[in-house]
Amino acid sequence: MSPLAVLRWGEVRRQAADPGLALTFLGAAGVLVLFVLYPAFRVLLYPSLHDYLAIPQSLRWMQAAHNSLVMMVISTLSATFVGLLFAFATTRPDIPGRRFFRNIAMLPLFAPPFMVAFAYILMFGRLGLITHTLLGMTANIFGWHGLWMVQTVAFFPLAMLIITGVLEAANPSLEHAARNLGADEWSVLRTITLALARPGIAGAMLVVAISVLADFGNAVVIAGGFPLLATEAWFRMEGMGDLKGAALVVAMLLVPTVALFLLERYWVSRRAYTTITGRGSRIERPPTPPLLKGLVVALCALVSVLILLVYFGVVAGAFTAVWGRDWSLTLSHWRLAQDRIWTLWTSVKIGAIAGVMTGVVGVVVAFLTSRSLPLRNFLDFLAVLPGALPGVFVGVGFVLAFNATPLGGTLWILATALAFWHLPMGYQAAAARLKQIERSIEEAAVNLGASGLRVLWDVYVPLLFRALVEAFAVSFIRAVTNVSIVIFLISPGQVVATFVILNMIQNNIWGAAGALTTMLLLLTFASIGLTWLLVGRVVRTTAVAG
Amino acid sequence: MSAEGGAAVRERPAHIRLRHVTKRFGETLAVDDVSLDVAEGSFTTLLGPSGCGKTTTLRMVAGFHRPDAGDIFLRDVRVTDIPPHRRNTAMVFQEYALFPHMSVAENVGYGLRMRRVPDREARRRVAQVLELVGLSGQEQKFPHQLSGGQQQRVALARALIVEPEVLLLDEPLSNLDAKLRVRVRTEIRQLQQRLGKTTLYVTHDQEEALAISDQIAVMHNGRILQVGSPAEIYFHPANRFVADFVGLANFIEGEVVDAHHVHVNGLVVTVARPITREGRVTLVVRPEMVRLLPAGAAGQPALRGRIAATAFLGSLTRYWVTTDGSEWVVDVPAPGHETLHGEVALLLPSERIHVLTE
Repeated sequence: MSPLAVLRWGEVRRQAADPGLALTFLGAAGVLVLFVLYPAFRVLLYPSLHDYLAIPQSLRWMQAAHNSLVMMVISTLSATFVGLLFAFATTRPDIPGRRFFRNIAMLPLFAPPFMVAFAYILMFGRLGLITHTLLGMTANIFGWHGLWMVQTVAFFPLAMLIITGVLEAANPSLEHAARNLGADEWSVLRTITLALARPGIAGAMLVVAISVLADFGNAVVIAGGFPLLATEAWFRMEGMGDLKGAALVVAMLLVPTVALFLLERYWVSRRAYTTITGRGSRIERPPTPPLLKGLVVALCALVSVLILLVYFGVVAGAFTAVWGRDWSLTLSHWRLAQDRIWTLWTSVKIGAIAGVMTGVVGVVVAFLTSRSLPLRNFLDFLAVLPGALPGVFVGVGFVLAFNATPLGGTLWILATALAFWHLPMGYQAAAARLKQIERSIEEAAVNLGASGLRVLWDVYVPLLFRALVEAFAVSFIRAVTNVSIVIFLISPGQVVATFVILNMIQNNIWGAAGALTTMLLLLTFASIGLTWLLVGRVVRTTAVAG
Repeated sequence: MSAEGGAAVRERPAHIRLRHVTKRFGETLAVDDVSLDVAEGSFTTLLGPSGCGKTTTLRMVAGFHRPDAGDIFLRDVRVTDIPPHRRNTAMVFQEYALFPHMSVAENVGYGLRMRRVPDREARRRVAQVLELVGLSGQEQKFPHQLSGGQQQRVALARALIVEPEVLLLDEPLSNLDAKLRVRVRTEIRQLQQRLGKTTLYVTHDQEEALAISDQIAVMHNGRILQVGSPAEIYFHPANRFVADFVGLANFIEGEVVDAHHVHVNGLVVTVARPITREGRVTLVVRPEMVRLLPAGAAGQPALRGRIAATAFLGSLTRYWVTTDGSEWVVDVPAPGHETLHGEVALLLPSERIHVLTE
């Protein structure tokens, strides 16, 4: 036996002497296998090999796959470009309105996943405020071009956050060194600033690409007859009861998302140029060249207007008698919305359960993977894997895995699916916090006689309170606004608000849809406000740029 | 190493001239009315504790800060308003600021690229300067693959290749370990003398400043307190701060008797340089200037003291001696196996005693 194996075995025996910790470890591993791995395998193994081999023969699926990849490419490029623009604007002290741009750019992150598409139908659709009423055009926004614009606005903030992080981390001395060697501002930008941001831009593109591929909410609202993998799964199941087809489609979707995810996690994120933040930040940066400054401000202002239109459109829709025809103000939509307000309550219940689950499981798993336990890397992998899974994949997975169990048809199947889909956010927040805690604090507790679990409870839980609250809030907000998963798991007794809104939009009941969406927004922002009061900072509802 | 020929270098015409330069950051006065001449081909060091304004002064020469008042000249050209990329004042940054996304060759060649030097010539010059700093064969490596000392050389090569009018160095050795620091500073000095490049150097390390410079400007609170050769700064500090910051010093209070005699603790001490003041003065006596003898062995008038503590430091032994009314630090070089104990006599050689004039 190699010395290493002896060491490992010794470690196992040592940990086994702490039965509470060992049991927790087994329990956590079991739960993750059951709710992360098992549904995934159910999906992948549901179609037969023969079904997989028949994919190239299906024109519709090949078309959907092709379309999804095209959208991935064009939306990723445009969203990353806009993200870069905003990141640049918000990291330059001499760009006017940079704080405004930054705050505005965060807004799409808090919008329910179908909201941008919904608002753009109101603005640019056949009866759109801008296209129809103001410009008198006959516009058709449904299709790939509408989706392109919507996905650009919806996902550029992800790119902005990642690229901002990279630009801020860049050592200002490098730019000064370039100037010192004779580089003018354009050269500095080209050879230093942007060149240094390359790994960040690549990382941003991968994250955006995953979001675009998995985007269900916007696609289902605005793609019209344009087949895409993410929506195709639902049409298969909803329209034709074709579970096998749904499983096949989401399995197809999984291949590129997992590939992009692994690329991001194990390649790009390690290539970031480690820059030491040295002194010298006190050196004032020379002014941004006026031409560049004007261009950046103009483009950022344009995108900001597009974002404000999203919020304006939805809220205005809730108070407008007949959108596009009768612009008088009314409260009648709110009466209809009130009839359905119970669905919002269902959403809140599901969100609360999911939030607690994400928080608790996230903290416990983060604690376990911070120990030198065997299999900790496997546990870590399971806890971040859901980040690579499209919502529709998780939805189909839970249908196949748990619909026939007592979970099926209850709130719990919804809450569990959402909780484990959001696990990476809770887990990574807790893991990051754990890394900041001095190991000696724990050693002091052990030295005074505390057992492994006692340490978690006495030392880490109080210190992890903030991570716990944030994990809860993120999971809660995303759960109440989710459509991609709930649409598969919903049952007549457990209808949630987003499902009702989606139906209303598709049936052109825009006023009530606007009213319910407005309530959902109020709920979201109230949760963000409450979290802010508890932990003192604005929680991010995305897993990126932690 | 630098004292010889230093005087000649310092008498050459000024290459960098600072005239009443002032810089504020908000409320803080970082540089306060600084004037300084750096002679053609000389190695001049700005020395002072952190926050004294030395780095800010250097950066104003590079053009990163614009002075709030005063002017900077390179030879006869006023450069105060010239942006940094149009001054030929290459700088070596404290943390090197090597571009992490470029190879050694690309880093070193960056300045040539910005000057649109043709590729072939640029390649030749990169090879040349890398040979100069002893990094031939490392062209394709990236900064993170180099040791700290090698990174330092790349930074130096990158600055030298553009044939800068003046070379600026901002604490370039502070990220190296102690042994390497001594070696690299010797190399930098030799290179500077070989190329005859006017150099402005910033450090907080007094030993480094003494070892490397033709001229030292000691700074404190944004002001230059004294400019002089290393020997002048060490043996004839202008004030208590300079004496204290550069080397160890005993500050001894005394009463002036006449131009060459001071009364200290009942002993009349002879001073070589005439004293222009009267009344109470402070004498600066470096620890290695005092001779320590067993009590009664002096054979001439001496201060009487008692050894309070002893520390063996290898090449010397340091004694803390209490005399009537003052505390002394005395270094005795190349000690044998015997150390002194108890009562001792302190001899003060007149040519080495310095009287503070402020």
